[in-house]
Amino acid sequence: MNAVLEPPPRREIDRRSFLKLGALASGGLLIGTYLEFGMPQAEAAAGGFGGGGAPPNPNAYIRITPDGKVALMAPNSEMGQGAKTALPMIIAEELDVPWASVTVYQADLNAAFGSQAAVGSGSTPGNYTRLRQAGAMGRAMLITAAAQQWGVPESECRTNQGVILHAASGKKATYGELATAAAALPTPAAGSYTLKDAKNFKLLGTRVPGVDNAKIVTGTPLFGIDQKLPGMLYANFVRCPVNGGKAVSANLDEVKKLPGVRDAFILDGIAGLNSGVAIVTDSTWHAFSAAGKLQVQWDEGASASLSSDSFEKQADAIGNANASVGIQDNWQVLQATYRYPLLAHATMEPQNCTALYKDGKMEMWCPTQMPSAGQRLVTAGLGMQASDVTVHVTRVGGGFGRRGSNEFSLEVAAIAQKFEGTPIKLTWLREQDFHQDNYRSCGWHYFTAGHDSSVPGKILALGDNFIKKGGPGNMSTGMFPFNVIPGAKVNSSTIPGDFPLGYWRAPGDNGDCWAVQSFVDEMAHAVGRDPLDYRLDLLATAPAAPAAGAGARGGRGGGGMPAARMIPVIKLAGEKAGWGKTKFARGRGQGIAISYTNNACVAIIAEVTVTQAGVLHVDRMVAAVDAGLIVNLSSAENQVQGSMIDGLGAAWFLKVTVDKGRVQEDNFDVYPLMRISDAPTVVEAHFISSPLDPTGLGEPALPPSAPAVCNAIFAATGKRIRTLPIKDEDLKWS
Amino acid sequence: MATYQLTVNGVNKSVDVEADTPLLWVLRDSLDMVGTKYGCGIGECGACTVHLDGKAQRSCQMSIGKLGAAKVTTIEGLAKDGKLTALQQAWCDHDVPQCGYCQGGQLMSATALLAAKPKPTDKEIDAAMSGNICRCATYTRIRGAIHAAAEAK
Repeated sequence: MNAVLEPPPRREIDRRSFLKLGALASGGLLIGTYLEFGMPQAEAAAGGFGGGGAPPNPNAYIRITPDGKVALMAPNSEMGQGAKTALPMIIAEELDVPWASVTVYQADLNAAFGSQAAVGSGSTPGNYTRLRQAGAMGRAMLITAAAQQWGVPESECRTNQGVILHAASGKKATYGELATAAAALPTPAAGSYTLKDAKNFKLLGTRVPGVDNAKIVTGTPLFGIDQKLPGMLYANFVRCPVNGGKAVSANLDEVKKLPGVRDAFILDGIAGLNSGVAIVTDSTWHAFSAAGKLQVQWDEGASASLSSDSFEKQADAIGNANASVGIQDNWQVLQATYRYPLLAHATMEPQNCTALYKDGKMEMWCPTQMPSAGQRLVTAGLGMQASDVTVHVTRVGGGFGRRGSNEFSLEVAAIAQKFEGTPIKLTWLREQDFHQDNYRSCGWHYFTAGHDSSVPGKILALGDNFIKKGGPGNMSTGMFPFNVIPGAKVNSSTIPGDFPLGYWRAPGDNGDCWAVQSFVDEMAHAVGRDPLDYRLDLLATAPAAPAAGAGARGGRGGGGMPAARMIPVIKLAGEKAGWGKTKFARGRGQGIAISYTNNACVAIIAEVTVTQAGVLHVDRMVAAVDAGLIVNLSSAENQVQGSMIDGLGAAWFLKVTVDKGRVQEDNFDVYPLMRISDAPTVVEAHFISSPLDPTGLGEPALPPSAPAVCNAIFAATGKRIRTLPIKDEDLKWS
Repeated sequence: MATYQLTVNGVNKSVDVEADTPLLWVLRDSLDMVGTKYGCGIGECGACTVHLDGKAQRSCQMSIGKLGAAKVTTIEGLAKDGKLTALQQAWCDHDVPQCGYCQGGQLMSATALLAAKPKPTDKEIDAAMSGNICRCATYTRIRGAIHAAAEAK
């Protein structure tokens, strides 16, 4: 019996040796599961690991050493949404080990983990059952080992926080003592082990601080940009300021003579890679300085004619051609156009990536939300096999959808391939990060509603002519409130022209919820109804939400808003915020908005003050949330609070403008992310005790934040915000 | 390229860099102290905040050639002998970080604030911390953690 194992690796950079030890160890318990993984669909659709077919990896998730230490793998990227803490908590719950005995490691890209994409609020719901099973299987193997050693029935053994007990004989052993024997057992078959009743959870639902907190507050290397390898060189990659433009020539000889520059060359003709100029140097500062002195002649291509103004004109041309929505001649008509702008992701950690090419193999350190997609870019672009491209996933300094696309991976890999044996770290300038984003699309809603005084309190007809530049998220009549106004009409169109758009936190809903929930407020006021009661009444008439298909997610891509879940959420928000309890003086007011994003129901009530001079202050925001079972209460609350402020900040301050195909904003002075001085004074998150499995919380509380505040501004001032950002609107009142 | 002497977290260091190299990149690339983060390069986001002679400054705006004899303290230098400061501990206990990228800079600004104002009001916190952007918007907990650390002192 091999009773002694090497201690688990201590440093984040030792992740690789975890797997190596795992594969070689004979004395520890190493188990795993492979199950079909319904979400995230985006990755499955892109040919990722989500579709099944990979063999089980028994070493994937759990390692117990004889001293009772438990090492758990976090399979999906940590970008602030709390997955690195929440996912191992799920394993620990079913394995029944004390959280204090657990050390967490971030998994490399490995088919044994199924989909490792961290998108669509999907890491927790996608892994929930799978990780419970992994933990329960481990516990079952330990029980079997104990029962065999003691010669007692398994059914008489129970576990308690890392210990197995047999009551009748008084026998007792720690998991560490049994780990070696358990590791020799076969993996339990489905049906031979049971999952806990959620009522008996000890760890899930409690407040567990993030596993990396101590490293974060002491400045320990964690992020992609923190990677350093022996002999590493640094790089910058200068792309055309117009999307799709090509580098024709550049002052390369001049740049090569600059301090610290090792090489400068044009990269073009690689599938999936935007043409540009690579500069390889001795330090990041050398690379940034040299990029500033680089002069490139670009072939800007067709996108050089695009502008925000032209998008606006194209949208109006479509939007003003409203089709009939069935309003009768004698009815009153309510019409409004809502406009929201392009947004950048502006993650605090600029895009970066590190790669080492040696002996035909690429080893990469990627701050990514979707490691498999980065690997695919590299294999397709450079003609390599997936087995020759190793992807280590670093902590991610903010995702928000930005790092689902991985162009930085291919850029650095293409550069590293030319420097065989030398690690290369590519870092983008902040300005490049702004100019080379996959932006949140701008959008326009041309709403029309009709009502008749002979039918008081009701909107009788409703239409939405929705236009966006492109990207994810269409409108449909299955969405609230179109699903509750008989005959409601919805049309969706896009504006032509190649402009890079992508997924931005709560795709689609992040802009459309603002427009729709603001117009629902207009509808309520038009027919003389209280905005909260009006929503409750509309939901009371809602048809049963169409069932989401197997693996599908409610919200944008799945079933409609479930009234039975949303109504208690609205009531809870109203109660906690004291809706309607205060008679506000002019200049103060409350507003409500609701959303159903990624299977979670959220209602937000905002309370604002607007001075006569038009200065907005958000006094209080209260969210009520049904996100199923809460895995980590601390993280859940943090996500809801952060999402609310993020959604508010974007709507209040942010706009990306395009001129001659170029994004005009290039840094935080002109793209003013929310600062603490503008953050709401009080931000509360309240959770419904829900019998459902967890739905994920990285996104759902963002969409209703901005409309709740805009509706509160209307209550305070009578001014309706129909164009974002709010800061460009005149809020003065007298 | 020239040789510069500097004191970081009480330790004397020597680096060979160009005079225009920002302290940020001296720390990160030359001295392998990567807790100080690059966020914007124009002094707008605060991710690169360090202390120069105890005062919170943007290290992306301070070239090594102009640093002079100022003593540098970085996020790596706050904890002494492995013991977290009251602020660092409050940051962990309140579970402030989300992505965590800006939090080193936040802590440097908060540390300077508490040194100047041991019991800050919300308004004073907002004023002192408004140079530090948190894209994840953990501002609610930042306020809470600063108050908690002020109480703990």
